[in-house]
Amino acid sequence: MHLQGLNDLDYNSCLKCNACTVSCPVSNVTLDFGGPKHLGPELARLTEQQEPIDDKRIELCTLCGTCDAVCPEGVPVSSLTANVKALHAEENGTKFRDFVLSHAEYVGKIASAFAPATNLTMKIKPARKVMQWVMGMHADRQFPVYRFNNFKRRYTKKTAETKRKVAYFTGCYATYNQPDIGDAFVNVMKHNGIDVAVPKQKCCGVPMFANGRMKEGKKNAAYNVDSLLAYVRDGYDVVVTCSSCSLSFKKEYLHYLNSAEAEELAQHVYDANEYLRFLKEKDELNEDFGAIGQRAGYFSPCHMKGQGIGNPAMDMLELIPGYEIRDLAADCCGQCGTFGFKEEKYPYSMKMGESMKEAVNELDAEITVTECGMCKTQLDQLTEKKTMHPIEVLAKAYETV
Amino acid sequence: MTARFETDVVIIGGGVTGAGVVRDLTLRGVRAILVEQQDVVHGTSSRNHGLLHSGGRYAVRDENAAIESYRENLILKETVPGSIEQTGGLFVKVPGDDDDYVRQWLKSCEKVGIPTEEVSVKQALKEEPYLNRDAEAVFRVPDGAVDPFTLTADVIADAADRGGGLLRYHEVTSISRQNGQVESVTVQDRFTGELKQIETSIVINAAGPWAAHVARMADVPMELINNKGTLTVLNQRINRQVINRLRMPGDADIFVPAHNVTIFGTTGVNVDRPDDTSLDRDEIREMIQEGAALVPEVENIRMIRAFSGSRPLYQEKADSDASGRGVTRGMALLDHEKRDGLGGFITISGGKLTTFRYMAEKTADLAAEKLGVQAGCTTDREPVPHRVTDRDFSKWDLSPAAQKKVQYWAGTNVERLEKSLHESVNASEVICECEQVTWAELEAAFPEDRPFHLGDLRRRTRLGMGTCQGTFCHQRAAALAVENGYATNQEAEAALVNALETRKKGMTPLGDEQTRRQTEMMDAIYCVSLGMQKEGESNV
Repeated sequence: MHLQGLNDLDYNSCLKCNACTVSCPVSNVTLDFGGPKHLGPELARLTEQQEPIDDKRIELCTLCGTCDAVCPEGVPVSSLTANVKALHAEENGTKFRDFVLSHAEYVGKIASAFAPATNLTMKIKPARKVMQWVMGMHADRQFPVYRFNNFKRRYTKKTAETKRKVAYFTGCYATYNQPDIGDAFVNVMKHNGIDVAVPKQKCCGVPMFANGRMKEGKKNAAYNVDSLLAYVRDGYDVVVTCSSCSLSFKKEYLHYLNSAEAEELAQHVYDANEYLRFLKEKDELNEDFGAIGQRAGYFSPCHMKGQGIGNPAMDMLELIPGYEIRDLAADCCGQCGTFGFKEEKYPYSMKMGESMKEAVNELDAEITVTECGMCKTQLDQLTEKKTMHPIEVLAKAYETV
Repeated sequence: MTARFETDVVIIGGGVTGAGVVRDLTLRGVRAILVEQQDVVHGTSSRNHGLLHSGGRYAVRDENAAIESYRENLILKETVPGSIEQTGGLFVKVPGDDDDYVRQWLKSCEKVGIPTEEVSVKQALKEEPYLNRDAEAVFRVPDGAVDPFTLTADVIADAADRGGGLLRYHEVTSISRQNGQVESVTVQDRFTGELKQIETSIVINAAGPWAAHVARMADVPMELINNKGTLTVLNQRINRQVINRLRMPGDADIFVPAHNVTIFGTTGVNVDRPDDTSLDRDEIREMIQEGAALVPEVENIRMIRAFSGSRPLYQEKADSDASGRGVTRGMALLDHEKRDGLGGFITISGGKLTTFRYMAEKTADLAAEKLGVQAGCTTDREPVPHRVTDRDFSKWDLSPAAQKKVQYWAGTNVERLEKSLHESVNASEVICECEQVTWAELEAAFPEDRPFHLGDLRRRTRLGMGTCQGTFCHQRAAALAVENGYATNQEAEAALVNALETRKKGMTPLGDEQTRRQTEMMDAIYCVSLGMQKEGESNV
């Protein structure tokens, strides 16, 4: 689904109501952050045709987009805060740490090439202390593991031959950290008679936007639009398993690129479960799921909530016989992409994750299901439950027959 | 019992002209008291564009006004820099506008010495992206933006620092004359009802649209045309510099940046009452349609309020002797001793915000002559204390936006402001978010002479002038005023009722969807959550 009416940065409809600030996961745990209303529409208005104002507190904005989702007037709050981030980064430069974190793709390439060593190092306490000292990455933060046998090595198909064709945007996490998601997705599509092609792609740019590296982010965005649009025009549907990547195609690219091409691409981008739901609506979905007797809690990432498409993952998982899925209905996990890795943000991250942890403990299901790799990182750190991507569960259900 | 005072000059009207006169006289060492029926700068002086004319607008039609404007433009940039943003301005010819006028205009500007520079349309669009893309010719002039609120407040404050008197919220009830000479002015305190009689040799009528009314109190016949102009405030600042339409001056052809907003207007309709500041939805709509020729987006950009004020235009009638000594058509300086045989009574009317200092100078010259005072005018070189402070506010817990506001705004209030930052718990908190007004700034701006009035704070700090028009800040300011002993509960409630009414007055006529939603929220907060009754009725 394409998010309508968000393709300009007009802040004039802001009524100053504070709905964004009241719902902001960061503002909810600290007064150190100026809040989305001030750092978004307000600051934009106060600097329009005037000198820019650099506000350091913008570093605490995670670009989760909750503000956009709750705004009753449709103000593109997080795009406005992203601009303030970019300005702040330009004025002050970014830390080497932020450079590293915002380049999830390069890190992924290198880390997965030396995967066993990387994963081991990230678990050694003294090494992590050194990293905290040198890099400002918190020593207590658990890192996602990297896979040597990454998805790029596993799956190289560049074209599809079936009637419906899917161009799969894998995203850095499914490529380097959890290629099983990619495998599961290809399998799920295969069970629906759909061929999956993996177009040339770069990191969606979300970690760059979040670290104020707007120019690089836009460069990646332009590359992806170029690459994916060729597939779209060839009759492919673009499907994405990472909720942050899919949101960036649907929202951020429209604002930052402000091009007809970005607009066109956005019309053809689907979250993986949204796509399956779409197939079901067209009566094309293979509903031949085997029974899985499991109680699961669904944790909705902010970037999924922000797409305004409901809970497609739950809509799909409910089709599995015996599968008992409940919405954890929890707020932001607090990891927020690269935010939770940073030494100075870690305490906020932990505080923000508190309500999610409570929700998981209270529901006490067997596993937690979520689309987002970064939410998974926080879930792994704060809870005892195993976390799976909904597509992995669906793949399992198809295989269980 | 009536209190009695004595002075040399009483000036009636706390607009920018009266402010200029009291400062000018005080600088000459003349004892002067300024009397104002409401708060200072509540009338015509603040109900305008806030345009510091380069004179370009008058070059063709009114040469003298053009010359005066440009000369004063240069003087004010030097003497009241804190209230002026040297934005520069553009005159823009759009399709359909007369080519002959452009030639005439350039010739006239050259003749009167107003510097103009042709700018390519491409360059102009780069500088001002909201400009009509079909513009045909653009010229740069040294226009500026002037804040009439701070200008008037600062000029009066400087006069007061030098010994000048100020009575706000005092209405003139009578002017008494004896043997063809003014003798005293009686004023009434609007809040206490107390009467005060001020004995004086000279009375200067600087009452703007009320000037005819004041003259009648001295039994002097005077005709004044009050010509009402309507303006609107855009929610955002759309231009860096002033944008004028290059044609014979008409309606809806000026956009002036004013801090975080743009002021757009205006119209002209003659009205009967001096306090007629009513607004007409159709008039506003027509004005916006006309303005679209210069800035097409004006039809889509959100407006937050409309306001109107009356230009007091003096009508000479048959009396040819009345226009005073060498003053231009722009202003009317009336020596009623010559005109009507009333010694000591002077009226100063007409004119422009840009020429207020010159009007004051000529008026003070006449008063000084009558008093036999030798001292000449010094306001053309004696600066008014600057608003910008170099004091370092970074040690206080202020957001960067609030810090910028304070830095560019604190001026002579800086001592009170720092005292508040030192002593008050809420000092660094932003009370008005739209305009970044902190509690420290409000504490520093509380006028010491009157009960709590939110309008007084608004004029001094921009409290409630932004997007939400006081929806949030009015109740915060009122609550903190009560907590900190600036107001009683009753005073705070009365102030809230009044502030809501005046804010809504400027919002309702806009009639657009966004303003309706904004007022709906305002009502929800004040009338539902806080239980205040609509239409200004109090629950107490």
